[in-house]
Amino acid sequence: MTDVLMAILVAGFTSGALYALATVGLSLVWGSMGMLNMAHAAMLTLGGYVAFTVITSLGLPIAIGFAGAILVGAAAGAILYFAIVRNLLKNDKSTFESNVMIATVGIGIALENAILLIYGGQPLKQPVSIAGAFRLGPLTLPWQNLMIIAVVVVMMVVVSLALGRTRMGRAIRATAQNRDAAQLMGVAVNRVYLQVLMLSGALAGICGVMVSSMTQLSPPLGNDPMLKAFIMCVVAGLGNLPGAVAAALGLALLESFVQYALGARWGFPSLLFVVIAVLIWRPSGLFGRAEIRRM
Amino acid sequence: MTSAVAKPPVLQLDAIVSGYDGLEVLKGISLTVNAGEFVTVVGPNGHGKSTLLKTISGLVPLRGGQISIDGQRLSGKPHETAMLGVAHVPQGDMLFAQMSVLENLLMGAYLAPDKAEIKRRLDEVYTLLPKLADRRNQIASSLSGGERRMAGIGRGLMMGGRILLIDEPSLGLAPLIIDQVYGVIAELSKVGRTILLVEENPARVEDLADRLHLLDDGAIVWSGKPAELMARDELLATYLGG
Repeated sequence: MTDVLMAILVAGFTSGALYALATVGLSLVWGSMGMLNMAHAAMLTLGGYVAFTVITSLGLPIAIGFAGAILVGAAAGAILYFAIVRNLLKNDKSTFESNVMIATVGIGIALENAILLIYGGQPLKQPVSIAGAFRLGPLTLPWQNLMIIAVVVVMMVVVSLALGRTRMGRAIRATAQNRDAAQLMGVAVNRVYLQVLMLSGALAGICGVMVSSMTQLSPPLGNDPMLKAFIMCVVAGLGNLPGAVAAALGLALLESFVQYALGARWGFPSLLFVVIAVLIWRPSGLFGRAEIRRM
Repeated sequence: MTSAVAKPPVLQLDAIVSGYDGLEVLKGISLTVNAGEFVTVVGPNGHGKSTLLKTISGLVPLRGGQISIDGQRLSGKPHETAMLGVAHVPQGDMLFAQMSVLENLLMGAYLAPDKAEIKRRLDEVYTLLPKLADRRNQIASSLSGGERRMAGIGRGLMMGGRILLIDEPSLGLAPLIIDQVYGVIAELSKVGRTILLVEENPARVEDLADRLHLLDDGAIVWSGKPAELMARDELLATYLGG
């Protein structure tokens, strides 16, 4: 029984770590810009393919593959800002949220199809994997899962330090909390938006490498984690970063337990059930605050 | 009250026009604030006082006329206006609610050149507003109304700007707290800070302001010394309801 419980916990924490990484990227963009980035899934997929190309086609070390995924993810965020977001921000602010959502749906589809054209639709094996397991008495912990959890923990610490301790991070948080006040302090909010999209893109890139290391590379790779990350964002309260991490871990553990107890097909419906219940009980999410809009 | 004789102008407004969507709120306002001077704009609610400050700081776009700081024309972008030394303490404080008092103050010094300068400004603010030092680790949303106002002023001071724009500092506060807030503003004026303050009640600034402008329906209808306005019962009755 203990090893079954441990297997569920390890699977839950691994999925939770991956969801947290995807969720933080989404939540960061929503919280600071009011933008739901529907291209996040495609950016995640892009990261996985970049690492694959760097390691397999170019024959470079795995660390360079990681770095490539981070850099290309950040560059994709920058391109998204300069090509789409900056121009939409010049228009009526009240239409930004809906327009940017539609625009990023298009960008996501285009990117996914570009990947399909270049790499084909056949699943590919991500070379970032570690065989074997760490054994401690009756416990068996796969190195691959431990590596994923470790990478995600490192990324979370880096993001927390960047947001909490740096001037750039303070400007991002200030813009998220009160955009006008941040501008009055001298913060160039457009530069903050660029930084946020680059940071989110970098997180998506590394998330793509991790997700594909557990499954396989395919053009729709990012869709499932993106959908679940969105559910977790809503459960936590859109824009709430610590809440997003807590929701990601909690829901991933729930999903693992439900999959074990009721069968794999009940995992996703259980998440949907939770999100519906939360939206009825607390429409602003578990950790969100009600938004009052002056009409 | 400070003497402004032969002091150079810090802020100059030349026939500025601004508003929201189809509504024109400011209809050609011109005024000057000289170095070290305390100038107040008074007027009833909804006649453009806050819009005036927001237009100067760039939050509301300028539609006509021009605004200069130290002779340099403003671009209309709020962050560039802040770089030129305009420190706006907005109505309702607009603090960063989920940040601590200290983080709010540090955001005020966002453009400060180095850590030594930030520390100097922080020491200055804590000396003037010692309660902020006691509350430095408290989350801004948990502060009382008076403390929030002090934090807003402190954050404005941390900007180390050429001019402080203060929007209705007495709004929503108990009389005792209003006295404390104006006590701090009086201290700032004494040490030579250049201040443009908007207020509904002219009695609040009677002993503080060097000059006063009366704003009505987006236009300046009278200018002079505060004591002169307080002696004009017909003006007070017509524009400020007595």
